[in-house]
Amino acid sequence: MLEILIVGAVSSAIYAMLAVGFTLIFGVARILNLAHGSFYALGAYGAYFFTTHLKLPLLPAALLAVAVVALFGIVVERVLIRPMRKSQLAMLMITLAVALVIEQVLFLTFGSEYRNVPAFIDTKFTIGGVDVGGARLLALGVGVVLIAALWLFIQRTRLGSAILAISQDPVAAQYMGIPSDRIFAVVMGISAALAAAAGVLAGPFLTVQPTMWLLPIVKAFAIVVVGGLGSIPGSILAALMLGYAETIVAYMISSSWTEIVSVLATLLMLMFRPAGIFGRRAAF
Amino acid sequence: MKKFSVLFSAVCVAAGLAAAPAVAQTKPIRIGVPTAMQLQVGRDTQDALKMAVDDINAKGGVLGRKLEMVVADETENPETGISAIKKLTADEKVDVLIGGYTSGVTLAQLPHISAAKTIYLGVGAASPSTNAKVKTDYDNYKYIFRVGPLNAAHQARQLTVFISDFVKGELGISKVAIVGENAKWVQDLVPLLKKGATEAGADVRATEFFDAQTSDFSPLFSKVKDSGAQFMVVVLSHASSDIFAKQWYDSRFPMPYGGIDVKSMDGDFCERIGGKSVGEMAANFAVRAPLTPKTIPFFDEFRKRTSRSPVYTAFGANDAVYIYADAVKRAGSTDTNAVIKELEKTSYVGIPGTIEFDDTHDVKPGTATYKGPALLLAQWREGCKREVIHPKVMRTADFVYPAWIKK
Repeated sequence: MLEILIVGAVSSAIYAMLAVGFTLIFGVARILNLAHGSFYALGAYGAYFFTTHLKLPLLPAALLAVAVVALFGIVVERVLIRPMRKSQLAMLMITLAVALVIEQVLFLTFGSEYRNVPAFIDTKFTIGGVDVGGARLLALGVGVVLIAALWLFIQRTRLGSAILAISQDPVAAQYMGIPSDRIFAVVMGISAALAAAAGVLAGPFLTVQPTMWLLPIVKAFAIVVVGGLGSIPGSILAALMLGYAETIVAYMISSSWTEIVSVLATLLMLMFRPAGIFGRRAAF
Repeated sequence: MKKFSVLFSAVCVAAGLAAAPAVAQTKPIRIGVPTAMQLQVGRDTQDALKMAVDDINAKGGVLGRKLEMVVADETENPETGISAIKKLTADEKVDVLIGGYTSGVTLAQLPHISAAKTIYLGVGAASPSTNAKVKTDYDNYKYIFRVGPLNAAHQARQLTVFISDFVKGELGISKVAIVGENAKWVQDLVPLLKKGATEAGADVRATEFFDAQTSDFSPLFSKVKDSGAQFMVVVLSHASSDIFAKQWYDSRFPMPYGGIDVKSMDGDFCERIGGKSVGEMAANFAVRAPLTPKTIPFFDEFRKRTSRSPVYTAFGANDAVYIYADAVKRAGSTDTNAVIKELEKTSYVGIPGTIEFDDTHDVKPGTATYKGPALLLAQWREGCKREVIHPKVMRTADFVYPAWIKK
């Protein structure tokens, strides 16, 4: 029982880091970013590249990876997404194209083999008789801190208020003199950085290979559909629900049934409450 | 004048007749290589084959004739595979075919190989069906041989022997768990394995399948631990091997594991995951260990040439060239029927062991007394080195428990 609690919390934290960024950029800029999983992949590969090839110590390498991906997110928003803002479909296509290009670049640069991201903590901890890898506990801790920090940032700072204002009413916000384009870039940067941080933290115990972007985007998508597209509390709640639902299914039934949970949750939510738990309106 | 021309023609004919054998003697022996060129298995087939060809040519060739390679891409598509065989036999007129990878492709190629009456030495496909017809329709399918790898039925049998002889017999562990990914071949294999293990007196406490996409093995490990098992037998082939090993190590899972783990066959698997597979036992067809006098020199030479560790098709491809060359020497010509008769008598010390063929022209598996190719359970050791633990006849070092397991 305690094991389900711990393992579920770790999964939920990683899912939440992925989903909060995904929902944030949608809530604020109405960008359904299919390249979000690629930021996660780039974070993991960045940490691998900086530690293995440039021989940097892990902490600077991890911070550098997150910073580079955040910058990359801003560039993608500025160069590729902004000109397409008028059309949802065009944005979907362009972000999907970015994801596929990144996959190919990773494939050509690093090959199809799995890569190893070193772990900050390599020791095992025993909590109430349950053995947990240190890297997992760290992912849980850092995930909680990052999301809490984001929450405080949005609620307590001027920039945060501006972000909130745009997400609530973009036109009114613009009339109030809030530079929406610059805010979008900031939000894209934050969103990419969160995904990259998830990649850096999950890299040591999950797969790092070129197609690793796909599963996170599927999960993030399921979570925001369940939680309500654009709602951060909804995403956190849905991440917890999905993380625990998958863990419980894996423990009680079988690991081979876990992948169906997210798909089923998405399907049921779209059928019975298309706006999601906290969504203000149906997203589709 | 007429007399002169007759004389001239006669001289020409005589000269032609005299010259013919000389030309034949210098014409190279052509080896056709149908393989999946884009894949590692295909690249290794070509590189290992080239190594053998260069070596034989440097020593003067076979019966004074040089060896020559012609490659055709058979991909993983049966249609393309058939085209590759037709190109090599009809257009390139090769003397022998060495290659293959996917069993489905090889099966589709068989009738065409048979029609072309060309010897085929398989080095990639593992399905027992590819050689079944050699016995039932010898005249048409006598051309088919498998140099490697061991066929799937032998592999299943050897893994059962691993459980009974090593896990139960040597480690004294009778409580085992079998875990495998949700794939057709694994679902076929696991019941056989379970039956074999149970018959051998092992107590199979848990049988667990997981999705190939699984990224968190904690629930699975928890179930295996709760089952009371003390050894985990795995059957993995696709994405999960690296995370499996990492999470096994990270949680210091309290039991050793081993079995068929295709990714763990790679020479750099252990390094790729930061040394976290140290302690794991993975099935291989050959590893860089003194299995035969040829094994280590081959691994070293291959690495020198390609900067890679060879995968299993490389062993078969390299051995196949020497096996064919020896048979041609013994037969005194490249005449297909004469060479087949000699191939059947093959007893060649190759890279994974002694290569001999059974009555279906399939490579004979090693046994407790016969050093044929075996499913070698090699353990990853400190420094990402490998040591063969099972079968005993091939053992290079004794089993060592992972550091956190006290025995």
